[in-house]
Amino acid sequence: MATVYIDGNRHDADAKQNMLHVSLSLGYDLPFFCWHPAMGSIGACRQCAVKQFKDEKDTKGRLVMACLTPALEDTRISIADQEAQEFRAAIIEGLMLHHPHDCPVCDEGGECHLQDMTYLTGHAYRRYRFQKRTYRNQFLGPFVNHEMNRCIQCYRCVRFYRGYAGEHDLNSFSIHHTVYFGRHEDGILESEFSGNLAEVCPTGVFTDRTLGQHYTRKWDQTYAPSICHSCGVGCNISPGQRDGIVRRILNRYNHEVNGYFICDRGRFSYEYVNSPERIRAPLVRRGDEREVIEKDEAVKIFAEMLGSGEDVIGIGSPRASLEANFALRALVGADRFFSGFSTGEQRLIELMLSIMQTVHVPSLREVEACDAVLILGEDVTNVAARMALALRQSARREPQKKALAARVPLWDDLGVRQVTGDAIGPVFIAFPCATRLDDVAEATYRGRPDQIAQFGYAVAAAIHSGAPPANTDASAQALVKRIAEALRTAERPLVVSGATLRNEAIIGAAANIVYALEREGRSAGLAFTMPEANTCGLGLMRARALEEALESRVQYGTVVILENDLYRRATAAIVDEFLARAGNVVVLDQVNTRTAARANLVLPVASFAESAGTLVNFESRAQRFFPVLPPSDVQESWRWITDVATRRGEFGSWNSLDDVTAAVEQEMPIFRGITAAAPPSSYRIAGEKIPRQPHRYSGRTATLVNISIHEPPPPDDPDSPLAYSMEGYTYKAPASALPFLWAPGWNSARALLKFQEEINGPLRGGPVGIRLIRGDRRGAPEFFSGAPEPVNAPERRWLAVPIYHLFGSDELTHWAPAISSLAPQPYVAVNERAGFRDGAPVAFQSDGATQTAVIKIRSEIPDGVAAVPAGLRETETLRLPAWISIEAI
Amino acid sequence: MTRATGFLPMPSILHDIADTALTLAAGFKVTLKNLFRPTVTEDYPSEPPRFEQRFRGLHILQRDESGLEKCVACFLCAAACPSNCIYIEAAENTSENRISAGERYAAVYNIDYNRCIFCGYCVEACPTDAITHGHGFELATYNVTELIYRKEQLLASPASPAQF
Repeated sequence: MATVYIDGNRHDADAKQNMLHVSLSLGYDLPFFCWHPAMGSIGACRQCAVKQFKDEKDTKGRLVMACLTPALEDTRISIADQEAQEFRAAIIEGLMLHHPHDCPVCDEGGECHLQDMTYLTGHAYRRYRFQKRTYRNQFLGPFVNHEMNRCIQCYRCVRFYRGYAGEHDLNSFSIHHTVYFGRHEDGILESEFSGNLAEVCPTGVFTDRTLGQHYTRKWDQTYAPSICHSCGVGCNISPGQRDGIVRRILNRYNHEVNGYFICDRGRFSYEYVNSPERIRAPLVRRGDEREVIEKDEAVKIFAEMLGSGEDVIGIGSPRASLEANFALRALVGADRFFSGFSTGEQRLIELMLSIMQTVHVPSLREVEACDAVLILGEDVTNVAARMALALRQSARREPQKKALAARVPLWDDLGVRQVTGDAIGPVFIAFPCATRLDDVAEATYRGRPDQIAQFGYAVAAAIHSGAPPANTDASAQALVKRIAEALRTAERPLVVSGATLRNEAIIGAAANIVYALEREGRSAGLAFTMPEANTCGLGLMRARALEEALESRVQYGTVVILENDLYRRATAAIVDEFLARAGNVVVLDQVNTRTAARANLVLPVASFAESAGTLVNFESRAQRFFPVLPPSDVQESWRWITDVATRRGEFGSWNSLDDVTAAVEQEMPIFRGITAAAPPSSYRIAGEKIPRQPHRYSGRTATLVNISIHEPPPPDDPDSPLAYSMEGYTYKAPASALPFLWAPGWNSARALLKFQEEINGPLRGGPVGIRLIRGDRRGAPEFFSGAPEPVNAPERRWLAVPIYHLFGSDELTHWAPAISSLAPQPYVAVNERAGFRDGAPVAFQSDGATQTAVIKIRSEIPDGVAAVPAGLRETETLRLPAWISIEAI
Repeated sequence: MTRATGFLPMPSILHDIADTALTLAAGFKVTLKNLFRPTVTEDYPSEPPRFEQRFRGLHILQRDESGLEKCVACFLCAAACPSNCIYIEAAENTSENRISAGERYAAVYNIDYNRCIFCGYCVEACPTDAITHGHGFELATYNVTELIYRKEQLLASPASPAQF
């Protein structure tokens, strides 16, 4: 702590920070451009100039950049100083020389940091009379739009893209007043985080291309606090809609989870909500035809199909909320409720969850602080992209220690990078093929899943002699020792693993490494990726495995399938047989999946944008999401189930989400605390709900005027403390129910700094999410016994391992045009020693079914391994890993 | 009507006659004078009414010299509107279908004249001078739904670019 003086006011400040950080944290309005809370200072834009005084007697002072002035004891600055103000106004006038002033046609207009800063400095009149510099814009792919003329050369885009997200195909070119930010040629941006450029860019150079296709201003959108449903990380998002069309997704800050950034799958996943493939009305099969029916009739038919309930089973879903799964479980009974995980996945998830109770599972903020990482058998970028971005930051921790030793503060980005250069910390990756994180890996290990498991056991044994030994090939011995040494000497070692390779031994090995570190007196973290939004939550429900139902040969009367396409969970032959065996099939889903097409009754289910519920993320953090679209006949699964239960006279007391959440908590002790994940629907600020619409929301009385000139009352929302209205107060809303960010004078996303307790700190207004697993059973758990001996590959056979694709493997984003345009075509990746030509069409056999694909040669893949993309649209699901034979066709 | 019953003295009658004649003459003098003055009364609706230049009447969505719509769908008029009566839906211009000179154009532009107060804030806010007040004022209708003016009703005809 240090005592600093700002405009004569005495403040306590964090001495490890700079004066810009301190001033903004204290609530002063000081303009800035190149500084970013996650990326530190470089002092490039000169916008945060303040007057610094030597001591109380100094009246002359000198101009300094606040972002480069450390908050040392007795630092005295003045923001209001006349000369400093004039300097800042002059700087912004210079920045604006070539700015096109095209706010009316710019997508950023109304939420533009440059607009805010221009107003803040008071620059209002343009004196430059000459021709403006113009650039050619580039095509940067389906996500990001490029309009270079608006650029003010703050360098934030390349600092994020290259320095933070670690991708290289965006750079600054040219010199002097023609500096250009773009690619070396037109083309799709390669980073999975390119969408963040729209929020990082202080003006409209990079904007959300999908928003531009149905453009609406920031103030005209209705927002809701939501949770991304595209993977298990549980990033907080804020979708915006107008007229029933979801327009975009913005990052919603949660300092423990996603911080300032989300991945492109999350940001652009919303497009499926608007898809024409969505199911909008109940459908009933009569003969070969499917008929649209009324909601009441659908509930009646559903109730009839349930009959006495004796031979009814329910299949849950890891992409549905806790409440939806719980409602189905309550409807069919716990012993007739099946989880809906893929074949083989359930065991792995239950294993991971039981391990999580014995270790410390770090949040992403803690992951970023780790200084040695071993990624064992997981392709983090494609399964949990946001975690990969956090791991990129952990790769910088070890080199940063050198900078700290050289007395360079960590906020001094340029200084730190001068000390560290391109050095990376001890990050190690063991995976069968190359991953997107390999560039920050000190070393990688390639092997078959069983070899990776052996490798992991060997690392554990090398750390602690009590861990069961393993046989790794001699070539890997040196690497095993290096990793063991790095993890043992690190301050905060971390092991990351997951279920991608469908290998229990890998997960056991990851646990053993952490147990070994703990026995050595080291506090280690263990993070498992979770493939779907509620994998963790459904796993904690301890439902029966889907395989039991699929392979039971029991004649079920009615099968109720909740938001799940069984054809993605098991092979088509098994699912066909299962659905044919069932008397009635009721499917509750959002889109017309292959399973829904086979159903006798289909009920339209609300997407994340239309529903409320609770999800549990990879670290067992229960987080609530709220609807952004007003209620319609497309309703939440738990509401359909409640409707039918009410009709049958069962658990009729559920009227709103709060009732269901309370029932979950009461019925299942593991979920204790989830009601506190967000305020209840009865929450009020000064007697009013929290408004979903900004106070500038326009056209309120004119929107529906073509239907009736009488302004309708805002729709009622029994499930949330939010109103579909602009009336109310957001500024002091609880963090978990904050729909959008706006503060006086701060219209851009940077308004966030008015909502944080301090910069980079938690949001004001309470916790965001409740941790369910707290690692209570830590101590000295038993080591997992040794890994099975590796098997030798049979002649001309390959072990097919599933490879996830960020764009392509997620089910619902198949219906999001921008994301699905980047999905790969079906392929089989092998190394060149397999004897195939790159691009050659082949057929391969698995489970008796023959599939066709093209060969992709990837030389890093070990012999005897074939990488097969998982979950692509219109491809058959395979039971992987499996030994396959590949034939040229 | 009641008549006077008694006779009044003679001078009073003469005086009254003279007085009446004088009054009539004074009155007709005004009439006669105005008979030869130019007419100020407007013959609306037989003839079109005359407006001051800055009269704020029905809005007109203007076109530029090349006939493109001036509106670029920036939403500023809707944001400025104190009675929230402007509703816009934007769509993107393409090289095949170019409606305005900017990136976007207004695919839907409705003004609800039930609520419009003709304050002129929308015109003031418009950065491209696309929306202006015309001199139209004949809004009376038996059916209030007809007071929702669509873009087609508000748009200037392509032939004559600037209209009032």
